[in-house]
Amino acid sequence: MSNTKYAIAKDNDGKNMLKFLLGELKPKGKIITPFNIISVPVILVGTVIIVYRFIHGLGSVSNISQEIPWGLWKGFNVVTGVAFAGGAYVLTFIVYILNVKKFHSLVRITVLNGFLAYMFYAGALVLDLGKPWNIINPIIGNSFGASSVLFLVAWHFLLYMIAQLIEFSPAIAEWLGARRAHKILSGMTLAAVIFGITLSTLHQSGLGAMYLMAKEKIHPLWYSEFIPVMFFVSSIFAGLSLVIFEGSISKKVFSDQISDKNHKAHHGIVISFAKVCAVTMFAYFFLQILVFVHGQHWDLLNTSMGYWYLTEMLGFVLFPMLLFFYGYRRDNSLLVKIAAIITMLGIIINRLNVTIIGFRWDAVPRYYPSWMEIVVSLAIIFTEIWIFRWIINRMPVLRESPIWAKNQK
Amino acid sequence: MDGFTYHDIFQTKGIEYLVIIAFLIILIPFWIIINRKDIIIRKIKETFGILTSDILKIPKGVFFSNHHTWAHLEKSGVAEVGLDDWLLHLAGEVEFGQIKEKGAEIKKGEILTQIVSKGRFLNIISPISGVVIDTNPMLREDASIIGQDPYKKGWICKIEPSSWKSETSSFYVGEEAKQWLKIELERFKDFISISLAKNHPESSLIIMQEGGELRDHPLYDLPKDVWQDFQKIFLDSEV
Repeated sequence: MSNTKYAIAKDNDGKNMLKFLLGELKPKGKIITPFNIISVPVILVGTVIIVYRFIHGLGSVSNISQEIPWGLWKGFNVVTGVAFAGGAYVLTFIVYILNVKKFHSLVRITVLNGFLAYMFYAGALVLDLGKPWNIINPIIGNSFGASSVLFLVAWHFLLYMIAQLIEFSPAIAEWLGARRAHKILSGMTLAAVIFGITLSTLHQSGLGAMYLMAKEKIHPLWYSEFIPVMFFVSSIFAGLSLVIFEGSISKKVFSDQISDKNHKAHHGIVISFAKVCAVTMFAYFFLQILVFVHGQHWDLLNTSMGYWYLTEMLGFVLFPMLLFFYGYRRDNSLLVKIAAIITMLGIIINRLNVTIIGFRWDAVPRYYPSWMEIVVSLAIIFTEIWIFRWIINRMPVLRESPIWAKNQK
Repeated sequence: MDGFTYHDIFQTKGIEYLVIIAFLIILIPFWIIINRKDIIIRKIKETFGILTSDILKIPKGVFFSNHHTWAHLEKSGVAEVGLDDWLLHLAGEVEFGQIKEKGAEIKKGEILTQIVSKGRFLNIISPISGVVIDTNPMLREDASIIGQDPYKKGWICKIEPSSWKSETSSFYVGEEAKQWLKIELERFKDFISISLAKNHPESSLIIMQEGGELRDHPLYDLPKDVWQDFQKIFLDSEV
């Protein structure tokens, strides 16, 4: 059935491009919403704090010290955020490489999310660097730093953002009505996807590899030589859980944009993801058991950190895995969504355990993020959601593409 | 480098091997159970006479229209039409009224025939336009074959279609049809609760036992006004 009843993206119908862009800048949708009321003050205060941070230095706004030089922005925004952005490479792998077309409706929004995530979390990284102006060095070669994992991370972020931009650019071309550009860009999609997936496997694990050097600083229950593998495997179900969670929210918030067919397909998609998550988490759980056995730290289980470790593994890996399994078998999307939320919390806990909580757990005083760090962290996320919403309201991400774009395919 | 201790990796090798073997052993039932598609539960429900979408027969190559009639184009260019399993499971045992005769022209949306049961009837809407080439003689003699084999032996008419492609472009087929009928079943459950609550509150208890599941052939015991509402809501819908 053709979806002509539903709003298709307007190409600018020969309108002057400047007029069109100016028109698009006007706000769409309600201005006073609960989300806006909460996010706007946070973003404003966050901006002020960021300006203050650049004037007065990192120590003036955060609790980072010489002992504990990596704080919330790196540990949470960069490391955890990138884990969640893993949905983009998993989904493009499933749709373009394994050719499972039924998930196609989700690709654009997930790639958009991945692109914005990497952009903002690279920004968060800049904030958390002592000398942020040096961030360009790995790229331009003023002391490449090739012996550090960060060299790889820097290059991958740059290349991956370009790849995701290319993957997403057909949507931008459709918004602008640029037919020729659309044709060229659509042809590049598969190459960009393959490139993106290849990059992702390494930088997902690379973020974990950065912590390999900190052997004495990370609690033995979380430190192992297998951190990169663990980060990579967990990014698979972290990304999918975010896609499930975000898809459910988008379905409600943007429900008028989504075609009937895609609305009905959502349940099936959520259930299929549940199966992938259940199987991956099953493998991950056993990998964690293996790593634990290999590390020979069973005596540490009886400490408070040990109990926390068990809580993470049993409550936030094993339990949601079983929920996914049961939800898949019973075709119950509510259970799957609950499992997705618990999984996401588990990933946050896992990443924070390696980067903040388990990192110098024995330091006196312990590191706790300052309120300013938390506000900036939230401001980054809220800004990303604002831009996300701006794009979805204007470009054919959830909407069907215009007819000329479909005919080109 | 400072601070590096070396594990004796052989110390834990035995346990690690056991963990891996345990993983592989647990993986087998895990994989089987996750893929099993609830076959047992479906079979149990079927024996209890509970109507769920799992027991509906839905051939993958048949086109379903919004009116719950199906059409299937043969190589000869003649299309067979009939009733879908969903409608038949809901209605139960029925007889057939007058079917459009051979040579008659029929348009999509016109009444093809009627199914009748104990004084109540439902109009069956034709899914396609064309000329009726043949009607199924078996339906006069033994209407129960439509319940047993709704898509092969239970065909109602053979029609030579005049515009097959355009008329069937919006029909459901394959996996889509399966999902659509699942949703239609849920819609029917809601319809039953509303319709019965409106007119016959005491009957609603009979239909929705088994914890909210439908018994098979729910329409069979329901009064005429429910059949009329059903016609309006489910069969007469515009495509």
